[in-house]
Amino acid sequence: MVLVGTPPSDTDGERGLLRRARTGDPAAFRVIFERHSPAVWRFLRDLLRDEAAADEATQETFVRAHSRLGALRDEDRVGSWLLGIARHVYLESRRTRGVHVDVADEEHAHQVEAVLPTPSPEDLLLDQELAGLLTEALGMLHAERRAALLLRIDHGLAYEEIASVMGWSLPKVKNEIHRARLRLREQLAAHVGGGRP
Amino acid sequence: MSTCRESELDALLAGELAPEDAARVRAHAEVCAACKHALTWQRLERGWMTQRARREPARPALSFSALEARLAVAQKAPAPVRHARREGQWRHWGKMAMAAAAAVAFVGLSLPRGGTGVGVGVGTEEPWSRELLVVTGVEACEDAAAALEARVGACLIASPMLALRAD
Repeated sequence: MVLVGTPPSDTDGERGLLRRARTGDPAAFRVIFERHSPAVWRFLRDLLRDEAAADEATQETFVRAHSRLGALRDEDRVGSWLLGIARHVYLESRRTRGVHVDVADEEHAHQVEAVLPTPSPEDLLLDQELAGLLTEALGMLHAERRAALLLRIDHGLAYEEIASVMGWSLPKVKNEIHRARLRLREQLAAHVGGGRP
Repeated sequence: MSTCRESELDALLAGELAPEDAARVRAHAEVCAACKHALTWQRLERGWMTQRARREPARPALSFSALEARLAVAQKAPAPVRHARREGQWRHWGKMAMAAAAAVAFVGLSLPRGGTGVGVGVGTEEPWSRELLVVTGVEACEDAAAALEARVGACLIASPMLALRAD
């Protein structure tokens, strides 16, 4: 591959990078990859719950993104666009592998809310044990609900962007994320607010 | 939180609200115990997720050189979309051929046997059982109908309900 013009830097804007990548500039695509691949990988790892499978799915996501650079309309939303492709790759991977490990995510959110302890400032520290519990608790969520929650609290997508990525209505996005939050809190309640052993 | 919206608290933390909306939600959270509680949890979750992302070790498999090799293979390979479309077309024509064959078979089986000259479709009807004819009161007209049927070579009692209406 041959570099075209001035090499892009990490500080280049997404629009500029995207335009250069669209003209076939591999260096620009490389910056996009290096900027977004950790988040894409983390998203896929959280969905697939398998690091090696997330490696493969991340590569596949960027291969597809490379071939569809021209299809991205909103040039400021490269991140959410990539996460949307990643979600499709995940769904295909799940179908291919025949994996269905979702735990029943029963609808009792309203009951949970009343009994949750209030976190203390010390709880903000994520120690090794709590990090493991957090990952485990995320894994307990229904896959689609987990994806929506992660897109919001880990990847910082706006509700409208999540609706676009998930193909849901805005009220559904808000509802699913709310339910996911309550379920997550229920799983972690014993470890906050002085409840830790 | 029954009348409060957690998504608004979330938007407040994300800095997505307009100044006047942010002030309103913040003021509400000050006096609403449920919202204050939810806001504390949301701060905690955001903090945890940020720490988790920062601690994520670099993945060697995420190197661009590995991706480049894969892109090169993908570019040399025949265009997958066109191939898939062609495959889809063949699948489409296959389905059309199967549907045509099924239609021909259906028409063939529907044709009257023995060349009686009766219209298509008559031979496909199952004869009514004797019990059913008795229950529905069709038996009374059965003999006259049978004679007519023998003459035209077809079953005229297409439905017991039609026969009852005729009575």
